[in-house]
Amino acid sequence: MDTFILLFEGLATATQPSNLMFALLGVMLGTAVGVMPGIGPALTVALLLPVSLSFGATGSMIMFAGIYYGGMYGGAISSILLNTPGETASIMTALEGNRMAKRGKGGKALGAAAFGSFFGGMFATLGLAVVAPFMVMVALSFGTAEYFALMVLSFMTVSAAFGGSMSRGLTALFIGLTIGIVGTDKLTGQVRLAFGIPEMSDNISIAIVAVGLFAIGETMYLASQYVNHKEKAQAVSGSVWLNWGDFKRCIRPYIRGTGLGFLFGPLPTGGAEIPTFLSYTTEKRLATGEARREFDEGLGAIEGVAGPEAANNASAAGTLIPLLTLGLPTSATAAMMLAGFQQYGLQPGPLLFTNNADLVWGLVASLFIANLMLVVLNVPFIGIWVKLLTIPRPWLYAGILCFATLGIVGAQGSPFALILLLGFGLIGFVMRRFGYPLAPALVGAILGPLAEEQLRRGLMINQGDWMFLIESRIALAIYAIALLSVFGPRLWALVRKASRKTTAAA
Amino acid sequence: MSGDPKNQAAEEDLRLPFDDETGHGTGKRDLAGLLIAVALFGLAMVIVNDASGYPIRRSYAKFGPEIVPYLIAGGISVMAVITAIMAWRGAFEARDPLNIGALSWLVGGIVLEIFMLYGGTGFIAGSAVLFAFAARAFGQKTLPLNLGIGLLLSTLLYLLFRYGLGLSLPAGPVERAIDLLLR
Repeated sequence: MDTFILLFEGLATATQPSNLMFALLGVMLGTAVGVMPGIGPALTVALLLPVSLSFGATGSMIMFAGIYYGGMYGGAISSILLNTPGETASIMTALEGNRMAKRGKGGKALGAAAFGSFFGGMFATLGLAVVAPFMVMVALSFGTAEYFALMVLSFMTVSAAFGGSMSRGLTALFIGLTIGIVGTDKLTGQVRLAFGIPEMSDNISIAIVAVGLFAIGETMYLASQYVNHKEKAQAVSGSVWLNWGDFKRCIRPYIRGTGLGFLFGPLPTGGAEIPTFLSYTTEKRLATGEARREFDEGLGAIEGVAGPEAANNASAAGTLIPLLTLGLPTSATAAMMLAGFQQYGLQPGPLLFTNNADLVWGLVASLFIANLMLVVLNVPFIGIWVKLLTIPRPWLYAGILCFATLGIVGAQGSPFALILLLGFGLIGFVMRRFGYPLAPALVGAILGPLAEEQLRRGLMINQGDWMFLIESRIALAIYAIALLSVFGPRLWALVRKASRKTTAAA
Repeated sequence: MSGDPKNQAAEEDLRLPFDDETGHGTGKRDLAGLLIAVALFGLAMVIVNDASGYPIRRSYAKFGPEIVPYLIAGGISVMAVITAIMAWRGAFEARDPLNIGALSWLVGGIVLEIFMLYGGTGFIAGSAVLFAFAARAFGQKTLPLNLGIGLLLSTLLYLLFRYGLGLSLPAGPVERAIDLLLR
């Protein structure tokens, strides 16, 4: 019951006027960027990292979480009306949602998405509040060997899960690790890879890496493609409010989607893509009657919108569990939030719950408030967000670039930061063009220095004996999980393939 | 069901551990991919070269600040070899034609802003030029209009972040005039 007392105290933090304002700002920004194709919550948090330094730790974390949740809501809008997912978490929503919009049921699809997001967000946040304290208890017993193992787990899974190519994921990871060692070594003061440039002998700010790879690199990638940027948006047709019949069709997908999202969110498998995919296929398989016909004839079934939308918001909440309790980011946005914590000298992990209890529980409580705000913003005021789709793309992306450089120059106070930014932008562009995932590079740059610290502290305690790494049973178990999560999906594919063959034969 | 591209990806065959897992390779030798491999190898060399120059320390750890760079350099070398094999066997996916013109406008805009900020023209002018060039990169050919919108946006951003959040932005004549007016 402690949890609920703490949550209540958190509510006091979260309802302070300034924090309510940050939550509102976050959810509005998040929805806005979720709506616009090509810009996701990870990019937005990256853009705001440098400027948020003046917001205070609690305020900016509340805002970032609001952006994360808001992005999940907003992503549905462009998926349904444009058939262009605003971010990866909404890919599945586009399948049935856009078909519904073309048949004049866009309003219903948007309503199902918004209420699904609300349902998934609310229950998964509740789950987060209940589960997190147990995770903290486990994590408190961890020593250097276990933490190092956890980081290896994070490295392996983040490289395996993002994109489809393990070798490219690992390459991205190593590039990130290299970025992480630039600057002054924490333990000895040795300056590494600075090439005599004074700005580089301090460590490279994670904000520059994040904005460079995600914002600049992504914009370059979009510009480098010959794409016709004129898509036709479907008008919002029909009421966004669900009637009893719609609601009855949605409730089971909501529950299943929330379960899947909450289950997969904390696993280091790359955020919302897997649970939304599973939720969609589940709904498609279980559909009967009217829904069956709508799925089969490509008319757009509401279940196919409801499930994935509940799943992606639930996974956002689930992602926060390992982020807050262990300091492990399992999605790109979570990695950005970790960078946000580090900006304030805070290291997420079990100690955060004891040392900064008001921040943690204020953040969790604010998630409930953010969800309430979002459902209000996304149901009655849906029309305003749809207008965003009409901003001409050239000016939109130009504005993003201006904002990105503003943040970096303003926070670093030197034009040299822009040279670094351009460098990371070009790296990000080449990586995108050749199908390298960006998230492992970011996770490597953020977690690399922490992993190095654990490793070398451990080596110091054990007088240079590497065996300490595998003497802990917990650490061994974590390595086993790492191997399983890397090779598991392939085994799973093999099993599926085998079972498909047998069903085909029968 | 089979028409669903996402699903097809899930049904892909098992491939060799370090082959391209997404499995839509061109099968042709990929020069750009080989270049990436060379760049990775170069990066590994740079790291080793840097790490070998650290003064040797005696400590309980037996390993100093050079150990992790060596490990990373080793990892990168392995990835360089794998990348080279991938490029040789054409495991990279086919790429869309590269819009060099658009990319040049974009990179040019950023480079120009860097020069302008170092040259002391201030944030607003540099940012407006970046805006105009970036919009041009995305196909908006009305340069004067772009510049106008860029100036408007940059001035708004300057006011918001200089006075709203107290960020220190590079100041030129325009910024100094604004600061003087608002003081």
